[in-house]
Amino acid sequence: MKSVVTTVVTAADAAGRFPSQNDLEAVQGNIQRAAARLEAAEKLAAGLDNVTREAGDACFNKYAYLRQPGEAGDSQVKVDKCYRDLGHYLRLINYCLIVGGTGPLDEWGIAGAREVYRTLGLPTNAYIEALTYTRDRACAPRDMSPQALNEFKSYLDYAINALS
Amino acid sequence: MLDAFSRTVVSADAKTAPVGGSDLASLRSYVQDGNKRLDAVNAITSNAYCIVSDAVTGMICENTGLIQAGGNCYPTRRMAACLRDGEIVLRYISYALLAGDASVLDDRCLNGLKETYIALGVPTQSAARAVAIMKSAATALIGQTNSPASGGAKYRKMETTQGDCSALVAEAGSYFDRVIGAIS
Repeated sequence: MKSVVTTVVTAADAAGRFPSQNDLEAVQGNIQRAAARLEAAEKLAAGLDNVTREAGDACFNKYAYLRQPGEAGDSQVKVDKCYRDLGHYLRLINYCLIVGGTGPLDEWGIAGAREVYRTLGLPTNAYIEALTYTRDRACAPRDMSPQALNEFKSYLDYAINALS
Repeated sequence: MLDAFSRTVVSADAKTAPVGGSDLASLRSYVQDGNKRLDAVNAITSNAYCIVSDAVTGMICENTGLIQAGGNCYPTRRMAACLRDGEIVLRYISYALLAGDASVLDDRCLNGLKETYIALGVPTQSAARAVAIMKSAATALIGQTNSPASGGAKYRKMETTQGDCSALVAEAGSYFDRVIGAIS
């Protein structure tokens, strides 16, 4: 799982040396930013269900045609699965905030997503709309502190760019 | 390879639950004690040569048969291999201490180590003893409990901020114990 610490250790191991002063400084930099990340992760975890519901509603409001027969959301089962997927994305963003890197999103969310969505005939626009809504809806200091919000939004943008 | 943070994430993913609330407490303490941890890693890396050479020398002093003809540290070529292995083990322990998780030590160092030593005819009991000496030296350096009496001419005190680092000493000790457990 890619994170600052594992990257540093992998590089040191490849060179066969002990962690150097540079490595320790890199980890220190990561630790300094960790408080904001953990705050964002905590707030997101606490409100995950509400955030997911609002994001899903926004997507079905904008793309109402999805509920028509033959479209991706023509039955409640399919709609529920859409909300479930959004929950997965937000959960992976929560993991990224914990790890301090894009490892969880890369490995469990983005790898293979394009192929799967094409096979199932799912529109990625709908996911982008939902995540964009979440990004624009979140605000400081109502939801979390400005620095934490900044971290949260950067991972949302990462997911949006990956789906675009 | 995992660190303290990705370990939490992997176990949360197994339950498809977000990481929040009580799971964050241990991560917050990692962040809070971050500087202590870096000082601890520095205490090991800065004194690596001393820790390793003392441990191997101590192991031989306790069992001089090792450097007599037919012993496993005879001739110098084999003792050099022993010193090299001591350094490798200590290096992976320093990685584990930095990451706050033993997975790098398990995956890249301990996996198959015992089988390799048995195949090569390395006495695992002696190897475990050397690791045990490394443990007492490293934990004393991290906790600054070393004394001129025990250190002799090589005595050195790490110049770090005074404070309670018993948790880190215990954590570092657990990685050494993990090595001892894996090879004996």
